[in-house]
Amino acid sequence: MTQVGIVMKESPEDRKLEEVLRSSRLAAGGFMGHDNRSVSEVIDADATELSRLGFTKEQVAERMRQITKVAISGLGTWVQVGDGMEGKVDEAKGWLICPWPHKGKLAKRITVVKVIETGESIRWSDLNTHLISEHGFFEGKGSDFRIEPRKLIRTIF
Amino acid sequence: MVLEILVAVTVVSLIGTVLAALLTICEHFIADYGPCQISINDESDVTVKGGKDLLSMLTAERIFIPSACGGRGTCGLCKLKVLEGAGPLLPTEEPYLEKEERESNVRLACQVKVRGDLKIEIPQELLAVREYTCKCVEITDLTHDIKQFRLELIEPTTIDYIPGQYVQLLTPVYEKSDEEIYRAYSISSNPAEKSVIELIIRLVPGGICTTYCFEYLKVGDEVKINGPYGDFRLLDSDAPIVFIAGGSGMAPIKCMLHHMKNTDNKRKTIYYFGANEPRELLLTDLMREFEKQLANFRFVPVVCEPEDSNVLGCEIGLVTHAVQRDLKNATECEAYLCGSPGMIDATIKVLEELGVSEDKIFYDKF
Ligand SMILES: Cc1cc2nc3c(=O)[nH]c(=O)nc-3n(C[C@H](O)[C@H](O)[C@H](O)COP(=O)(O)OP(=O)(O)OC[C@H]3O[C@@H](n4cnc5c(N)ncnc54)[C@H](O)[C@@H]3O)c2cc1C
Ligand code: FES
Ligand SMILES: [Zn+2]
Repeated sequence: MTQVGIVMKESPEDRKLEEVLRSSRLAAGGFMGHDNRSVSEVIDADATELSRLGFTKEQVAERMRQITKVAISGLGTWVQVGDGMEGKVDEAKGWLICPWPHKGKLAKRITVVKVIETGESIRWSDLNTHLISEHGFFEGKGSDFRIEPRKLIRTIF
Repeated sequence: MVLEILVAVTVVSLIGTVLAALLTICEHFIADYGPCQISINDESDVTVKGGKDLLSMLTAERIFIPSACGGRGTCGLCKLKVLEGAGPLLPTEEPYLEKEERESNVRLACQVKVRGDLKIEIPQELLAVREYTCKCVEITDLTHDIKQFRLELIEPTTIDYIPGQYVQLLTPVYEKSDEEIYRAYSISSNPAEKSVIELIIRLVPGGICTTYCFEYLKVGDEVKINGPYGDFRLLDSDAPIVFIAGGSGMAPIKCMLHHMKNTDNKRKTIYYFGANEPRELLLTDLMREFEKQLANFRFVPVVCEPEDSNVLGCEIGLVTHAVQRDLKNATECEAYLCGSPGMIDATIKVLEELGVSEDKIFYDKF
């Protein structure tokens, strides 16, 4: 059935989504960066990469949520969020909306995580966590908030 | 077998697409709802050409209803009462409306199509909202990521607002945004200056509006705002005041302090302002001035990372810790908070532990 889904012509809903994700209506510069692949190709490629690394999107999103939750307690300052890891959140008043058509709003919050030993750091917004957990979407290459699954897993696990 | 399914699915989706397109075309060209009358609060009527959603029709009539999703039906902010003519509640509206709201005919204005005469109710304060064309006359760096924008009103030339309220700033289409969008900013100016609005804006990484303000907006540019909005304001009482803010949360508190000075307000007032490092403190000199000018005001900057903080006379730690340590007679106080939602949540917890009752804690609920 998935096969049929892939071969099938894009539905009007898919086209609309693709258009929203490539536009700057909901996020500065959009969600697709300079990626010419279709949204479903981006999602499929990252799903393959994720399973090669031995993780599910739910596991990854859950860990991101846990880290954000701990980091929130620092009220914008660095706090320990795991072994050898510091994190902090940066939050603005207001809400973000998921580009997929469903109800709900997300905090305008960015979590930054730093591995103390290597200095390597990664950032995500609450919207990233939602996009990964609900839609398996790590964003297109070149998007400001694109998350590379390999780097994310190396940093947070 | 797979090929047959494929063909069938493709045919069905093609038929669906054609039908949807036909419907849209019919709606656009054939359906003529003619002039529709919108009666507002039983006081005034506007006549519009039917067919579009109520929110955009009201906006076209310069009646501004708050909206954060551009009418996509996903923010739930554009609520108003539609007493007649709205048709049945739509599935897109249901998730945003409480039982009592549904019973009293509250609807999402962006989802209600105007196809006939309507009777609606709009809160008086929203009817006072206007759009203002302004000129940006000054941009001042307050910290490494916070700037103050001074906007001179061109048309209309003056504005009335209650200290604590906010305006919506229009971000025009620019390189990083292909649609006009509005964002809310608290008014920070001295309310005695009726021909000027000042905003204190913090750069949000990857933000549509703040990137525009920081990287594209220049002195001399035209800016559009609408407002004022919001219920955040000082109560008229004699209770001691505790202000607690961080970052750009300084904005409405600064406006309230100007107002207190203008009205020679003698209420006992303490202001805790939290920052991570001393370089993130802003307008400290102005706050020290207020200490001299107001009868009973103390400013307490609080920083987490102590380098240099002694020089500035700061408290050390999180702002919540300073409040916990330092705030006397908490139970008598009214608390006014402005900052990130995380800071507000943590502060409310501390205040409640100190005995401040919930109905004496005020902040913009977003
Ligand atoms: C009543 C009220 C008063 C306010 N007053 C003030 C004030 O006085 N001063 C002030 O500075 N602010 C104030 N704000 C906040 C302000 O309205 C804006 O929310 C804030 O400035 C950010 O707007 P923006 O358009 O720059 O960011 P937005 O574009 O709305 O959001 C940017 C954020 O979206 C996320 N994001 C962006 N792109 C992506 C992507 N591709 N993938 C995943 N996530 C992404 C990230 O978290 C990013 O940080 C107020 C808000 C309210 C509700
Ligand atoms: S404008 Fe956002 S729900 Fe109507
Ligand atoms: Zn979603």
